[in-house]
Amino acid sequence: MVSQIGSIAISLAGGLIFSSFIFLGLFKKSNNQTYLQVAERAILSTSYCIFLAFFCLLNELLISNFNLQYVAQYTSYETPVFFKITALWAGQAGSLLFWSFITALFSVTYIFTTLKKLRALKFHSYIILSFIFSFFIFLSNFIANPFEPISSDIIVQNGNGLNPLLQNFFMAIHPPILYVGFTGSAIIFIMALSASISKDISFEWVQSIRRWSLFVWTFLSAGIILGGYWAYNELGWGGYWAWDPVENSSLMPWLTLTAFIHSSMIQEKRGMLKKWNFLLATSTYILVILGTFITRSGVISSVHSFTAENLGPMFFTFLAILILYTFFWFFKRKSYLDTPDKIDSFTSREGGFLYNNLILILMCFTIMWGTLFPILSEAWDGNKIYVGASYFNQLNIPIGLVLLFLMGIGPLLSWNYTSQSVLLNRFKLPFSVSFVSGIGYIIFSSSFQLYVFVAIMGVSFTLSSILGEFYKSYKKQKRASNFFDALIRMFLSNRHQNGGYIVHIGIVLLFIGFIGRAFEVEKEFSLSPGEQIYFSNYVFKLNSIKSEARDNHYAFLSEIDVVDSSTNQLIVNLKPEKRIYFYWNSDPEKRQPHSELDIYSTIQKDIYSIFSGYDSQKNIGYFKIMINPLVNWVWIGGVLMVIGSLFAFWPSRRNS
Amino acid sequence: MNKVTTSTLIIFFLIASWVFYLTNIKKDDSLTVRYYSLSELANESNDIKKIKVGGYIKPNSINISEEDQLEVSFFVYQNNDSIKVTYYGIRPDLFKDDAEVVVAGSYANSLISATELQTKCASRYEGDLKNIEKI
Repeated sequence: MVSQIGSIAISLAGGLIFSSFIFLGLFKKSNNQTYLQVAERAILSTSYCIFLAFFCLLNELLISNFNLQYVAQYTSYETPVFFKITALWAGQAGSLLFWSFITALFSVTYIFTTLKKLRALKFHSYIILSFIFSFFIFLSNFIANPFEPISSDIIVQNGNGLNPLLQNFFMAIHPPILYVGFTGSAIIFIMALSASISKDISFEWVQSIRRWSLFVWTFLSAGIILGGYWAYNELGWGGYWAWDPVENSSLMPWLTLTAFIHSSMIQEKRGMLKKWNFLLATSTYILVILGTFITRSGVISSVHSFTAENLGPMFFTFLAILILYTFFWFFKRKSYLDTPDKIDSFTSREGGFLYNNLILILMCFTIMWGTLFPILSEAWDGNKIYVGASYFNQLNIPIGLVLLFLMGIGPLLSWNYTSQSVLLNRFKLPFSVSFVSGIGYIIFSSSFQLYVFVAIMGVSFTLSSILGEFYKSYKKQKRASNFFDALIRMFLSNRHQNGGYIVHIGIVLLFIGFIGRAFEVEKEFSLSPGEQIYFSNYVFKLNSIKSEARDNHYAFLSEIDVVDSSTNQLIVNLKPEKRIYFYWNSDPEKRQPHSELDIYSTIQKDIYSIFSGYDSQKNIGYFKIMINPLVNWVWIGGVLMVIGSLFAFWPSRRNS
Repeated sequence: MNKVTTSTLIIFFLIASWVFYLTNIKKDDSLTVRYYSLSELANESNDIKKIKVGGYIKPNSINISEEDQLEVSFFVYQNNDSIKVTYYGIRPDLFKDDAEVVVAGSYANSLISATELQTKCASRYEGDLKNIEKI
């Protein structure tokens, strides 16, 4: 019964969104405000129908109604409630409905908050919103319907259950957080286009689109970092970022959105760069759809790909329409978006933002080039070319280092123009700190690596520059009050800027984590119980390998003592496992081996152990040990980034 | 020319050279690797510094060294062509006779010295429904 309601709700949503086009057309013809209002209600009703369908699907998952294909495929009676809920986005059909669900949430928010203030944008916003909405509703209705019943001649006694490998908290939560970011960027797209089409770019519009951008940015960042955290702790190849096409396609919109957040500040302060901002704001959503196309079409193989139904042509058409529409209006509104004001000097805050934009776009382009190169090359001359992590690392490290320094230089520049003497004066502190730490690195490190040297100088330069800014504003407050009061006032005095600085400190900490990658070492070896091996100042002694049948898998449990070879002290007892899921399956192809890691994690380094394989006849275990320095700084930096952007986003009393 | 124009020109020059560099990455084998088909490689008499090739493991050709369990040699085949591969390291879980593999490394004297060895996933989890009863 409930599933029928859900199914009807999706169909109704389709009809309603279609009718909104008709009413918008009637409004265009007659200019009668009533039609616009009706169209608005049609979009709102569409959203409510999607909410209803979403909760119907949730209900079916919770009560395990295996008469639905989707429920039977992704859950079973044994699936824990938490993972029954997360099964909502575990498969293609569910994740598309989930996408519509978030679009619906944002549409309602956008209509009731932003469009209440920016009335002039209503008409064009509704057109674009209806178009985006109808695409996803079309997919849910005709291509991947989550309410598809199972064929009538079979009875499902129990569902397949969610893949145990996916039953991990971070695995479960990073996609929806990313989806919020992805869908949210649609609102930025809509705002940028509708304001340009209706020639109504106001100061309020800039403020509003900046708030949306910050919000979306927070979720994109959190999603990317959580994805990395999951990969590091669960996938077992010892890293958090592999330059996989799907990872790249979440990073590209992040880069353009980051660029937009900075350059729109110039528009907010000085009314400049409208064209550039238009392109950044629209390309963010276009890149999101490009990424979705890559993920769901199977044109590029990747661990993340869904391949069950072929959505490639659909997403490609959608992408092409978005791009054509954007360019059409860009050229049509070119003169409107022109601004007479020019940047006076490159040693100004605007100049700094401009450099930052160029660098971010260059990075985005480089990543896009590497991701699409295999397809382009094959189409060009038939040669299949593999672009590996080395491409992305080698090309992005220098760009990233320039960015790192820019983050420190930016706060030292004033708007309009910074005179040379002022600049030199402000540079003194960060420059000397950076210089000293660079010298320190040369003296204290045993081997010299150029990138590490530059990165250390960059980290200390930027960190001291930002902390110096904080200290300056603290001193201003200090005159009036005591220590804690001044500290709190300092943070609250200019939230946007301070939030930004906190994000920047977070990114500097990320860079500290990245520096650690230059010192990673790893070793693969085989040991029998009782044997030991020396590696990188540690002795690894395999005590035992035991086996055990558990609820949903069979496990080989190893126990390794890690001893510091210089002090002879036991540091930790690592217990990586080798698991076989579906071990009872008679078809060996269907059994799923999995290495469950054990990580000893400290602020300086992680000792990362993988039990890769077990030869039961010879009683030999295969292991891989990695020493990964400074990885924890990546997570600390990530948390700080999210805190910083929330801090900047939170409405201050003045605004409300 | 004023300062702003000069800086703009310099920036454009830098970006243009970067883009030009990107269009030529194919020639730089520290950045990219070409996929070869097995028959293409089997008929190649020259040595190639970096290659990537896919195929199947020839049954009964896996030879694990007695002294070092991590040392292995095997043949990859596809249709009628086969090439010997040597590899040092932990082998993937699904490494066995007739498994589909992708190896990357160098090619010299009709032998591939692999630095990377991956097995293709035989099954995906999104399969047919089980626990069903026909009526």
